[in-house]
Amino acid sequence: MAAPQVITPAQRWHPQLLRLATLVVLGLAWETASRFNSTLNLAMPSLLMIAKALFAILFDGKFYQHLGITLWQVVASMVVGGLAGVGLGLWGGLKRRFGQAIEPYVYYLAPTPKIIILPVLILMFGVGSGSKIAMGALSCFFPILLSTLAGVWQINPVLIRVGRSFHLSNRQMLTLVYLPAVMRPVITGVRLGLGMAITGVLLSQIRLSNAGLGFLAISAFQTFQVADMYAILILVFALAALANAGVASVERRLGG
Amino acid sequence: MSAGALAVEHVGKRFVTPQGTVTAVEDVSFSVKKGEFVSIIGPSGCGKSTLFAIIGGLLDQYEGRVLVDGHTVDGAHHDIGMVFQEESTFPWRTTIENIAFPLEVAGMPKKERLEKAVHFLELVGLTDFAHRYPSELSGGMRQRTAMARTLAFEPKILLMDEPFAALDEQTRLLLGDQVLRIWRELNQTTLLITHNITEAVQLSDRVLVMTYRPGRLKREVPIDLPRPRSSEVVGSVAFGQLVGQIWKDLREEASRGMKATEGGRND
Repeated sequence: MAAPQVITPAQRWHPQLLRLATLVVLGLAWETASRFNSTLNLAMPSLLMIAKALFAILFDGKFYQHLGITLWQVVASMVVGGLAGVGLGLWGGLKRRFGQAIEPYVYYLAPTPKIIILPVLILMFGVGSGSKIAMGALSCFFPILLSTLAGVWQINPVLIRVGRSFHLSNRQMLTLVYLPAVMRPVITGVRLGLGMAITGVLLSQIRLSNAGLGFLAISAFQTFQVADMYAILILVFALAALANAGVASVERRLGG
Repeated sequence: MSAGALAVEHVGKRFVTPQGTVTAVEDVSFSVKKGEFVSIIGPSGCGKSTLFAIIGGLLDQYEGRVLVDGHTVDGAHHDIGMVFQEESTFPWRTTIENIAFPLEVAGMPKKERLEKAVHFLELVGLTDFAHRYPSELSGGMRQRTAMARTLAFEPKILLMDEPFAALDEQTRLLLGDQVLRIWRELNQTTLLITHNITEAVQLSDRVLVMTYRPGRLKREVPIDLPRPRSSEVVGSVAFGQLVGQIWKDLREEASRGMKATEGGRND
């Protein structure tokens, strides 16, 4: 006979309820700090002010212009960095010697903050969208390359033998075995890369630009419109979360 | 689908390893008649899998010849369809898509190939699982999917390497019945490579016993149990005698293999 289960108070809290409660507590702490401490008040404006700023921005056409520029730069850098990463990853995965030769470079370059070479990118691609896209592409290239490489190397070897036993051409081997087999790791790489691309684009917008959400945030900061800055940060966060959820849903659909 | 006859003539394979040359298979000759079911049985490390790869055309540079209907075959070819020991279904394809795979490779239009795949789906009894992914199937169902996929290739010779090795004994016996039914329906020339004596006797017309390294043919045992056969045959006296007879041959080889492995040498 199983003993009756003891339900502790912690278990009675539904995780989602607990999550909501955490948010409420944090909000209250923020609001308290903002109201009763004049130094903090500058860094942490009242939530009401942030909400107001958020609505003002959402109803301002200029915001959408900057949003559009940022989206275009992120998408372009994902296309450039993603194609390069998947392409080189497949090549390096299939040509094992080549892959093993470049692996250490990739491995050590991947976690290096790419922002340090922004000046070089500005010199190469100019102060406009070019250098932002280059930065985003460089940022997402490495995680996508690494997961593609790993994906090809981890293909179940018997599937290759199955392909050979049905005498597939090289082209069919690529399209019917290798590509579908690496789809999942590639999508995982894309999800990781997307975060990096967004970071790369926004960071370079913050450093030097006259357009994009990064620029909006940094100019709000420079003119002491701190509530506006927070509003933009919230929107950036929402954008990143949305993009991540989008890729994750593709990932789930592939789960089969 | 036309059945074919398989002939293996003086096939041998040596591997060069850092420890020296290993003769995996030496001077193996045998033939399988049209529509016949033959098993090759041997201990672990006897070169069964090497022989499988050679006949299937996945290994080049070997001695001797492999012939289908009197013609030498070289490399992977349409005459011989392979079923592998390992889990080999494509995890991103449903059962029906897996079965239709060789038809897709051959360039058959989608509608046509799915229609044709249904036939093989029914043959292996997976009609209710047509649109499931391998991860949603049992091990036995996945191996049946792999078998149906190879049958859809319509090979003259069906070549199987311990396809049920990973399954439990009861499932294996029941799948044996299915294999026999399919073999009869298609009049499919079949060569099964296995280490399982029961399986070999249950299914085959003849069993060829292999020696431990180098892998040579030691003896041919005709299985004269009546056909059609079902798994109930394992209870008969004649079945027990055949198993005993094969084990007598195999025992010596298996213990040689065991000694070699325990002596610190790997396969």
